[in-house]
Amino acid sequence: MLQIKPIMSMLMRNKSGPLLLLVQIILSVAIVANASFIITERVGLMSRDSGITESEVFDLDIYNFDDGMEPISQTKRDIEIIRNLDGVKAATLSSMTPLSGGGWSSNFSYGTSKEDRVDATNAPLYYGDEQMISTLDLKLIEGRNFYPDEVATGGPELASLLIVSQAYATETFGDESAVGKVMYRGEIGNQPMKIVGVVERLQGAWVDNNNLERGIIINVELAAAFNRVLVRADEDAIAGLKEAIPAALHRENPNRVVRGFKTISEHRTGIYRNHELMATVLSMMVVLLLLITSLGLAGMVMFNIERRTKQIGTRRALGAKKRDIVSFFLVENYLICLTGGVLGALIAVQLGQQLMTLYSLPKLELIYPIVTVVGLLVLTTIAVIFPAQKAAKISPATATRSV
Amino acid sequence: MFFYYLDLAWRSIKKTPFLSLLMVLAISIGIGITITTLNVYKMASINPAGERSSQLFAVRLLSQDNDTWDEITPQITYQDAFNLRKSAVPVRQTAMFRTGLAVQTEDINFAPILESVRVIDSDFFGLFDVPFIYGSPWEKQVDDEGGYKVVISEDINQKAFGGGDSVGKTLLLNRKPYQVVGVTAQWNPSPKYYDVNNGAFNNSEQIFVPFSLAPIEEFESWGNNNSWRHEDIRTYSDKLASEMHWNQYWVELDTPAKQQEYLQWLTAYVEQQQLIGRFKRPDAHGEISDVSQWLSENNVVPEDNKVLVGLSVLFLVVCLVNMLGLLLAKFLKRAPEVGVRRAIGASRLQIFSQHIVEVGLIGLCGGALGLLWAWAALYFLSSKFELEKSLAQLDQSMWVIAPVIAVSAAIIAGIYPAWRICSTNPSVYLKSQ
Amino acid sequence: MLSMKNISKVFKTDLVETHALRDFNLEVNEGEFVAVTGPSGSGKTTFLNIAGLLEGFTHGDYFLDGVNISNLSDNKSAAIRNEKIGFIFQGFNLISDLNLAENVEVPLRYRGFSAKERKVRVERALEQVGLAARMKHLPTQLSGGQQQRVAIARALAGEPRFLLADEPTGNLDSLMARQVMELLEDINKAGTTIIMVTHDADLARRAQRNIQIVDGQVCDFTMYQSGQTDQKAQSIADAASVA
Repeated sequence: MLQIKPIMSMLMRNKSGPLLLLVQIILSVAIVANASFIITERVGLMSRDSGITESEVFDLDIYNFDDGMEPISQTKRDIEIIRNLDGVKAATLSSMTPLSGGGWSSNFSYGTSKEDRVDATNAPLYYGDEQMISTLDLKLIEGRNFYPDEVATGGPELASLLIVSQAYATETFGDESAVGKVMYRGEIGNQPMKIVGVVERLQGAWVDNNNLERGIIINVELAAAFNRVLVRADEDAIAGLKEAIPAALHRENPNRVVRGFKTISEHRTGIYRNHELMATVLSMMVVLLLLITSLGLAGMVMFNIERRTKQIGTRRALGAKKRDIVSFFLVENYLICLTGGVLGALIAVQLGQQLMTLYSLPKLELIYPIVTVVGLLVLTTIAVIFPAQKAAKISPATATRSV
Repeated sequence: MFFYYLDLAWRSIKKTPFLSLLMVLAISIGIGITITTLNVYKMASINPAGERSSQLFAVRLLSQDNDTWDEITPQITYQDAFNLRKSAVPVRQTAMFRTGLAVQTEDINFAPILESVRVIDSDFFGLFDVPFIYGSPWEKQVDDEGGYKVVISEDINQKAFGGGDSVGKTLLLNRKPYQVVGVTAQWNPSPKYYDVNNGAFNNSEQIFVPFSLAPIEEFESWGNNNSWRHEDIRTYSDKLASEMHWNQYWVELDTPAKQQEYLQWLTAYVEQQQLIGRFKRPDAHGEISDVSQWLSENNVVPEDNKVLVGLSVLFLVVCLVNMLGLLLAKFLKRAPEVGVRRAIGASRLQIFSQHIVEVGLIGLCGGALGLLWAWAALYFLSSKFELEKSLAQLDQSMWVIAPVIAVSAAIIAGIYPAWRICSTNPSVYLKSQ
Repeated sequence: MLSMKNISKVFKTDLVETHALRDFNLEVNEGEFVAVTGPSGSGKTTFLNIAGLLEGFTHGDYFLDGVNISNLSDNKSAAIRNEKIGFIFQGFNLISDLNLAENVEVPLRYRGFSAKERKVRVERALEQVGLAARMKHLPTQLSGGQQQRVAIARALAGEPRFLLADEPTGNLDSLMARQVMELLEDINKAGTTIIMVTHDADLARRAQRNIQIVDGQVCDFTMYQSGQTDQKAQSIADAASVA
């Protein structure tokens, strides 16, 4: 016995209360659907795998300000010093730190002549040596690593070999194997660089750039006054190395500043901070919104029950079971919720459209409003069932009392 | 009468504590969220140049070849910066970029520190109103001829010299001696509008050295270096002669006439560069943007933040609809009492006012509590996400904005219930007891 | 004092038109005590509501104390209720959150009296009904008769020219009813015009004048205090009390 007809006519007669509830549910669905969509999108971004053992890798900067310093030999000595320290598993000079938000990127080209030149997509560049792969703990899936004697030390013009990420390889060459292909800077023929290996994953420095997955390693140590070094060590050895590395470097040459020592995990936290912030604030909003909506609903139902005490008593006197009273309120709730949910979903899609055009957010997927409505049905059931059970306890005798 | 209504409102709130608490909570949460996002938005969209905003202009040039970058970029090449400095039109002007240098003093026990440094012309200080405690900027002559002069902040002065008037003292930057000519007071505009490359809410540099030293000392750029074509840059002089965009340029133009004059000067400059074949695109031109244009062109307010402000306003609307429903329920329950009051001689307006005062009071409580939520949320967010201090601070204006929004929102929600209750026929409720 | 000429009141719903009052005519003079009787649904309450300016009417003229009531603004009619009319209800209608003094004070508040003036008037009104000592009590702490006396005090506090009572003793036992009735008679003797709607024929008989409403129209029988009783009026009044 669902009593939809009498409930409907009751709702129609007493318009303002249900109407308000309806508006509230419409808006809640619109907001919650969009918010949870943005949340999942951000969480999705944050959970992308960088291909790196992030907690074991940290970076440091060495700034040599000694006039007489000879960058190439100094850099080589510094790397040797770091590699020989206890606890260091691998270390390499690197032009950038993954997920740090700053570094190098470029567009290479390929082809056989000026006419059939193709510009490949923009890619983040890691200038480094043969220990780059072991330092970041990357998985080589095709080809080979650089041999130590293939690594040059000096400026970017010395580049001759590349190891590319699978994402870059597939995007550039499709099904063809990337190994053996030659890339150029600008014009075809300008500084040829041969691809010798492909790694499964290698993210760059900018998480909001679409070049993120296209990491490339280049066989040059960019030795200069300002050097960045990536080091891989056991997690519990990192704290000690923060002391040991500057001490060792300063013993060798005191005229420099050594700083940094942030793990890739820490860089990750920093670079995804805005996304995490957005996801957190939106989650807070969603929780509070649902809380307010259900509390408001519970309040309204309680008020309705108080107002209809006598009516409920009469119904009970006329033979309604407790179950009937509870189901009466539940059905009333579902009618409002479903109507609100459908309208809310429509508005949510509209709102999503607006957000998409105004703020370049991705398009709202329909599953979000649907899940929201289902969630709301569950939540409002809880909000209604307690006061409704109270209502069911109203004694049939109430009907016979006058006040 | 107002105090009578206030007294009645307070009694009414006390009489239905649960319902009242629910309403206060609803509105306070709505206000809390709105104020939190609004605060971050407001702090991010502050125009730190104040009244000088319309006199300070960032200069940009559309100089790249066709089929490279589509848009004009925020930075210019060193060549152009060097050439722009020759214009006599601006009241003040400065080329600049950010670098980093190792700082030492003549005290050998002072451990070297690496500091970010701004490379500027002497007009920088006047242009951006940087306050001095001791000394002054270096002389104009230094901008042309070069000279090892440095201006440091109070903070660096404290670290390097233990404070005091350090004008005349020597600071070692990358082991070169620089003479301190001035010490500035703390100066940290937020957003850091003069250079948004390294984040608009980064701290300002604490050390300032002459731009004229760049070719001599080969200061590295600690900002963005963008090239629209491949150039084989091996030395610093290659970089200076390249088409790489890595310098910022600001001018002060105090009157519209000056602005016109400067734009004409820029046009002439671009034509000259086209003539010598450097600027190849036909639509090459110069643009100037005042501070507020500059901030919006650089998207200093993150889009996420705008989305949040929008959603939180919707959230507030939900809270209000919620409150409206509860108020309606509460007021209608009180209809018999209102009937008595009407019979006794209260006019509709008096009944209406009584109820509006009540919702206003609820709104005020909600606003106060909402402010507390906002403060707590900002505190939580700033400690968890290392929000820049300038963004996480509760702006003073919020102490006014929060209660005003709360009370007016509550009153908007209360108008319909109050109208319903004051317009019902009193006689209905008098007999039926 | 009160003059109603050809007053009609029609209630319209979607289905039916109900004539609550039809060509209703009544004159009440200053200082009179009028009892209104009539069977259920005859229009007594409608009459009282119109007389008390709680409801408008469809046709006719109504003058109260020389003021034309038709088309009065809400503000003006509220002011007239406040200054010239006192109400007493069957259900007392005290505001349960307010104590006795505060209840009596309500009309004075709306009239804009100063705090001092209010205090004097509240005390005087409560003294008049013999409840001055209980000023700080809440209505629920009182018996029904006491509550009704507070309601009377509230009606009197504004020193109205006339009092409208709707079944003032309907919820009271006979002893209390008599006390309340005596109080009303005292008030009437002091010069306040009273119109009282009642079912109770005995009570009605104590008034100077009885009015019978049947089907929204007046059957007016004047009975003077001398005790002369019109047989016909008596029989109708009895019939009404049975109904």
